[in-house]
Order: sequence, then C-alpha cells, then structure tokens
Amino acid sequence: MKQFDAEILENRAVADSWRELVLSWDKAAPEPLPGQFLTLRVSQFSDPLLRRPFAFSGFQRAVGAEPARASVVYQVRGGATRLLFQLAPGSRVDTLAPLGSCFPQPVPGETAVLAGGGIGLGPLLFLADTLSAADELPTEGPPPLFVFGVRGAALLPAIALPPGTALCTDDGSSGFHGTVVDYLARNAPPPPKGGRLHLYGCGPGPMLAALAALAADRGWAASLSAEQWMACGVGACMGCALPRADGKGYLRACTDGPVFEAADIDWSGRS
Amino acid sequence: MTPDMRVKIGSLELANPVGLASGTFGYGSEYEELVDIDTLGALFTKAVTLAPRSGNATPRIVETPSGMLNSIGLANPGVDAFIADKLPALRAMRCAVFVNVAGATEEEYLEVVERLETAGGIDGYEINVSCPNVRHGGLAFGTDPAQVERLTRSLRDRTRCPLVVKLTPNVTDIATIAKAAETGGADAVSCVNTLVGMVIDVRRRRPALAMGTGGLSGPAIRPVGVACCFKASRAVRIPVIGIGGITCADDALQYLLAGAIAVQVGTGTFVDPRCAHMVLSGIELWMQEQGIAKVGDIAGLLEV
Repeated sequence: MKQFDAEILENRAVADSWRELVLSWDKAAPEPLPGQFLTLRVSQFSDPLLRRPFAFSGFQRAVGAEPARASVVYQVRGGATRLLFQLAPGSRVDTLAPLGSCFPQPVPGETAVLAGGGIGLGPLLFLADTLSAADELPTEGPPPLFVFGVRGAALLPAIALPPGTALCTDDGSSGFHGTVVDYLARNAPPPPKGGRLHLYGCGPGPMLAALAALAADRGWAASLSAEQWMACGVGACMGCALPRADGKGYLRACTDGPVFEAADIDWSGRS
Repeated sequence: MTPDMRVKIGSLELANPVGLASGTFGYGSEYEELVDIDTLGALFTKAVTLAPRSGNATPRIVETPSGMLNSIGLANPGVDAFIADKLPALRAMRCAVFVNVAGATEEEYLEVVERLETAGGIDGYEINVSCPNVRHGGLAFGTDPAQVERLTRSLRDRTRCPLVVKLTPNVTDIATIAKAAETGGADAVSCVNTLVGMVIDVRRRRPALAMGTGGLSGPAIRPVGVACCFKASRAVRIPVIGIGGITCADDALQYLLAGAIAVQVGTGTFVDPRCAHMVLSGIELWMQEQGIAKVGDIAGLLEV
C-alpha cells in the first residue's frame, strides 16, 4: 500500500446519483487487483473526518505518455460523497491504496458468474475486465456470466457493461423483473462438466446474504465483497469487523477482506 | 538551533513527546509500510488482556461530527499470543513501547503485567482503567479513586517499568482520579480516553452501534481533553500525557501549553497516517519560531 496525492482525471455522472471517478496512479504504488479498494480523504477539515473506502472499478496501465489510471464508481449519498462530487479534474486527493484482498481467479473447471447489485457493480466490472483480458484464462467452456441489478431502469448507469450482461430491475422496468438473486435462482447456467460455478458478488448486505445462501444450496464456490464502516482501512482499528460463520469471533473487512469466501462469514446480520 | 525534544516518563527518556495512542495503531505492523515509527517518541499498543477477546458485536464504529464513536470491545489475541506473536517486533522498535493493559478484575491486570514482566523487553505500561466499551473493568475502575489507587499500587509492586494510568473524562473531577494514580505510585497519567456517546439511526429506530453506546474520539473531544489535562497537570506532580483529537501541531501545542509533557495521536492517524510525524515536525518548527529550547518548558508558558 502507498499513500499519495492522486490527480483527478475525470469525475463524471453515470446515473442519477452515481459517478465515475478516474485518478492518476502513482508509479510507486502496486497495481490494484479486482476486489481491492482505496481510501480517499475528501476534506482537509475535520468534518467529514474519516477517509472513505471505494472499490476499484478499473485500472489501466501507463501507455506511452499517458499515466496509469484507476477508477471507482461511487454514489452521492452523504456529506463525504457530496464533497467528492465537487472535486474537479485537475485537483488532487489524498489516496491510500491498494488495500484489502482481491477476488480469487477462477480455477480450471470453474465457470465465473459475476453478480453485481446497485453500486456494487464497480468491482465486478474490474473483474470482468481482467477475466476477458486474460487470454491465458485457465477455464475452458462457457465465458463468464455477468448479472447486474438495479431498482429501476432510471438508475441504469452510463457505463459499458460486459457483452451479454443479464440486466435485472426490481420494478421490472427493464430486463428481468426481479433481483439478481431471483435471476440466478432461476437462470444460473449448469455447471461445466466435472466442474462448478464460481459466484463473484458485490452489493447490498441482504443481497450478499441471499447469494451466500444460494451458493451454499447449489454447491457453488462463492467469493463475496463485503461493505462495512471503516476507520483506518489497514487493519489497526478493528472497527470494520464482520462475524465469522463458525462463531469464533470476527474478520476485518479491510485486511481479511473485503473479498471473503461466502462460507467464512455469517451474513445474517447484513442489512 | 535544534530544539531539545526529549521528555522523561519516570526513569524512561523518550526521544520526543509525540506518541501513537492505544487502539489506533494496532501493534505497530499495520502501518509500517506507510510511516517510520522509529522517529516518534512512543507507541502505545492496542490493549492486551489476559484471555483473547474477539470484541463486540458489529457495527462497531460510526462517524460523528468531527469525530467517531467506537465500540471495539478490546479485541486482542490475549497476553500469551501477544508475547509470542507481537512482542518480538515491538522489542526491535527504536521508539519506546508502552503496552496498554486492560482487565475485568484487578487480578487480571496483575496477571497480564506479571506475564509481560517475565517476557521482558517492554519499556512501560499504560494501564487502561477507562475503556467505556466493556461490561466489567474499564470505566468501573477508572471512575473510582480508591480503586485506581489500589490497582496502581498493586501494579507498582510488580514492575519497575514506567506506569502510565490512562484516565477517563467520564468523571466529575479528573483531578481526583489523577491524584489517586499518583498516590498509588504511577509515573504518569494519560488523559483522556474516549467520552461515552451514542448515535441513533432514526429510520431504523435503533442505535447505530450494536452495543448501543461507544467511545467518542477525534477533534470533537479536543477541548474536553485539553481541559482535563489542564486540571490534571495542576493536581499532580507526575507528568501528564495529553490525548484527544490531535490532528496537527497546534492541537498538540494546546495540550503542551495546558500542562502535558507529551501527547498521543489517535484518531488523527486514521485520517492521515502521517499525522503524528506532522505533529512532531510542527512542534519543532513552533519552538524554533518561539525561541524555546526545550519541549519540557512549554508547559510553563501558558498565560492565565
């Protein structure tokens, strides 16, 4: 991890309250991986006080004179994200990255199923990018399935989704009428011969709980990215703890996660 | 002229008066990729208890105006695992390392210190009698002068290392508690730990934290901490270490002028991991500008 002042290259609206932020990437910082996150200090003052975590939605290596750049998709929903919204291209923001665990690559015999709910889309876009870029992809058989859900068509972001994305809306205004979980319960592809599905998920707490239950029921591998309030982001404060499934204490969303094997976490309290 | 930044806690000399507060810097390793801990005065570890503690139910933290509430519940691996897994790296640090000790009973505090004494290589202890987030011990000790004095005396009998007693602001008169620690044989008091606070999520009609209440920290509590240091430093002869909402050198200087001889940066590290270093360099710069040769002299400069 490294702390650096990133230059804001883009900060554009992609849906009603959603925005995509593109930051210049410090050469000395390790490249981020899908599932990892950064924290930003959005105010030089004391309110809002804490750094805010955001999952990477993409990363581009430097090309010629073009510096490397990382992106996140965020939702304007409180004081800190309103301040972030106001940061114009050319300004700089105190960045700490990359942090946390990443999505494990599918192993041979696994078909990847990527399930994003709402603003949880970001890290799965990044994962889809890396899966499609990996010509040496170990999996044979069907390409990854990408499923994305929002409350209604009005919230659909102006972001290129992977080809063949199954779109779900809670209100039926576009695509499949129902949640991502409903969709997968009915339409998940059969496992490849001799293999299994590997579910990758990010979204609201109840969705993660439902995905974990579905994966357990169907015998899928499942890697889920959890969201939790965080103070330090580096494992020191123990504030972002999530209960372990085996009842033996807690795991930290920031350093043990944010990506967990679904079976490791007790998702029942997520709301 | 380079100012003399050294301060003394009991028999121990710190290279400078800026430390990292317990519970905000883990056991040192979490931030080592980002900052050079060796150039600071002291690290106060996350609390260590006799048995491992997994901590409180979640959510454990919530942001508040210019602050945050936490209810971690002294999550730690227990003293034996601390000695085996954390202490070797802490011993190698060049800054002073104070192990923060907590317990539910007096016997537990004593047992933890005895095991740490046997392990050796520790520069000092900070006795946590002020955690607001545990059912037993913690605040129950720290709000009662008789218990603070007795516990401090019992610990004093078991170690020659500097003993710092960490005080709670959740009392009517912190001077009384500071005096009790001094009478019991403490080498210093640190103040303040967090203030008890509560945030309610009105839409869900329940507390934001699983435990209901938590400890408030950050710039929001700084005036409370400065006032506590002012009162405590006038009540005792032993040094006072200032804690509470320090984010820059001016914040730290308020504590030093109020009577503290050293400070700890806590929540400020979460906001910017470089915070303690910026505090230290800022204090040096201020001393040079003001023509102050020794950091220990700042305490006498307040005009009231």
